[in-house]
Amino acid sequence: MWQQVKQALAQSTERFLTRFADLLPGTAALVVAVLISIVLGFIVAAIVRRLLTSMQFDQRLTQWGFHSSAEWSPLKSPTLLVSRAIAALIVIAGFLIGIAAFDAEWTSLLARSIFDYIPNILGAGLVLLVGSVIARYISRSVLIGAVNLNLHYARLLSVGVRWLVMVLAVAMALEHLRIAPGIVELAFGILFGGIVLALALAVGLGSKDLVTKSLAGDAQKASAEKVEEPFRHI
Amino acid sequence: MKTADLVLGVLADLDEERLITLCDSLRTLLGSPIVVALRNDHAGNPAQTDSAASEKSASPYLIPWPSSKTDNPGTPVLNIATAYQSVFAVSEQLNARACCVIASTIENASPDWVRQLAQPLMEEDFDLVVPQYAQRKFEGLLNNSIISPLTRCLYGKRIRNPMGPDLGISRRLFVKMLGAERSAGGGGHALASIAPTAACDNLKVCQAYVGRRTYPPTDWTNISSLVAQILGPVFLDMERYAPCWQRTRSSVPVPAFGESVFLSQDTGTVDISRMVESFHLGIRDLQEIWDLVLPPSTLLELRKLARLPLEQFRMPNELWVRIVYDFALAHRLRTINRDHLLGSMTPLYLAWVAAFAHDVGAADAAGLEQILERLAVAYESGKPYLMSRWRWPDRFNP
Repeated sequence: MWQQVKQALAQSTERFLTRFADLLPGTAALVVAVLISIVLGFIVAAIVRRLLTSMQFDQRLTQWGFHSSAEWSPLKSPTLLVSRAIAALIVIAGFLIGIAAFDAEWTSLLARSIFDYIPNILGAGLVLLVGSVIARYISRSVLIGAVNLNLHYARLLSVGVRWLVMVLAVAMALEHLRIAPGIVELAFGILFGGIVLALALAVGLGSKDLVTKSLAGDAQKASAEKVEEPFRHI
Repeated sequence: MKTADLVLGVLADLDEERLITLCDSLRTLLGSPIVVALRNDHAGNPAQTDSAASEKSASPYLIPWPSSKTDNPGTPVLNIATAYQSVFAVSEQLNARACCVIASTIENASPDWVRQLAQPLMEEDFDLVVPQYAQRKFEGLLNNSIISPLTRCLYGKRIRNPMGPDLGISRRLFVKMLGAERSAGGGGHALASIAPTAACDNLKVCQAYVGRRTYPPTDWTNISSLVAQILGPVFLDMERYAPCWQRTRSSVPVPAFGESVFLSQDTGTVDISRMVESFHLGIRDLQEIWDLVLPPSTLLELRKLARLPLEQFRMPNELWVRIVYDFALAHRLRTINRDHLLGSMTPLYLAWVAAFAHDVGAADAAGLEQILERLAVAYESGKPYLMSRWRWPDRFNP
């Protein structure tokens, strides 16, 4: 009896040790891959940081209209944000390479599916970036045009337009990421429609007097034209 | 091939009879020059609407405008620039000694005007004749606030209307303008570049007193695009001629022809509330853009200005000059999109107009001249600031 127990114990220990020995190369590969990726990430981040600093990236970003990017950046520096993001990406890539070193089938599948998903993430990021640039440009155009037309709700109009474009860009990015496409579609429709309705109401109520005046008729217009305006610009 | 001594281009739709009268007045100049005038085929002349018939019956010294003048509806400022290009091209084809362009309204196309502009070209060998109009105090504001004093400060010529729009131009100058236009691939703005080109190439420039000009009424909804259309080419020329204007140290008066005319000036008050309101809106909503263009000291001054009550609204000349210089610099550095930049300048320009309206409230013609002279001197005094910022935009930022 005791002999059988001893034999079973020896066999299970042997099996465990064999399994553990099988895992060791993969674990070592994972540790090495992560260590190398950390070092590589650190070096690349330092190079990128130096490059962006020499390009005065932070100032340029502000000039291009990305004021808010500084607010959610570490130490209010978009340069640090970009360099750290690149370092994190390299470490994640190293970790995935390390995971793939285990010959187990599920790790390979996991790594493959994650690698397959990377183009979607990059595409969504690009969509967000382009959307953000377009939103800034259009909202600034609207703001300047509205101020020059003496519209008191110029800021509101500009912010509304920016959010319209950003909501569109976020919806497109989420669609690209294949995250709950049905819900995104519905939410986008509701949000987009809501912003348009809110803007229409705000502008409509804000310019009530203007519309009343313009509908008042030609008699008033004719009398207004009789008031001689002395300013001649060119 | 037909040749001519002088080419006359009148933008307004004149009938042939009036056009021939203008040409006849020019033929009395020294040496009886051969004058060719550009004729609008669709001018108010019902008997000659058919172009073939018109061609047969018209004077041999009238030729139609090139199609580019009338086919491009565009905006008035761009139309004038296109018309200038057309006149230059025709003048070159006809081997003309000079050309004259009357771009003001139809009331201004009088024989006296064209004679005054053409005489220094044909008899005194000048290269550019700019008009000196008899002005009321609120006329030509964009010119008085920026274009004229800036041209005087940068290029050293004290000319009141560097962008005309009615000008006399010699062959030497229009050939240069055509060459510059061709090398720019047709993207140039002829009208803004004429005076800088003449000044930087040491050509002979003079002024002619031409009397009262009828100005087009203000379209307040379009004022922003007007400012952008005028100032964009002016700022581009600053960039192009930077080596020239950085060498120019002071300004000199240019010879003047004709009799100066002073108009009686209204002394009543005008409503500036709309313009001040626009400035207040700018202060409230355009801060994020002005922060990128203007230095902190200027922004502080503007905030102080915004707190002033309407009756005390005054913009110091030095402040206005720095604003113009900083916008010119931002245009050169492309600090923000150029359309946005020029669009955001409109509330500041309207603030200057409002302050100017206060300053000239009770001034007569002499008082108006003094105020404009003080502004021009402020531009010249501020030139070292412009040069420092132009050369070292990052290092010199007060």
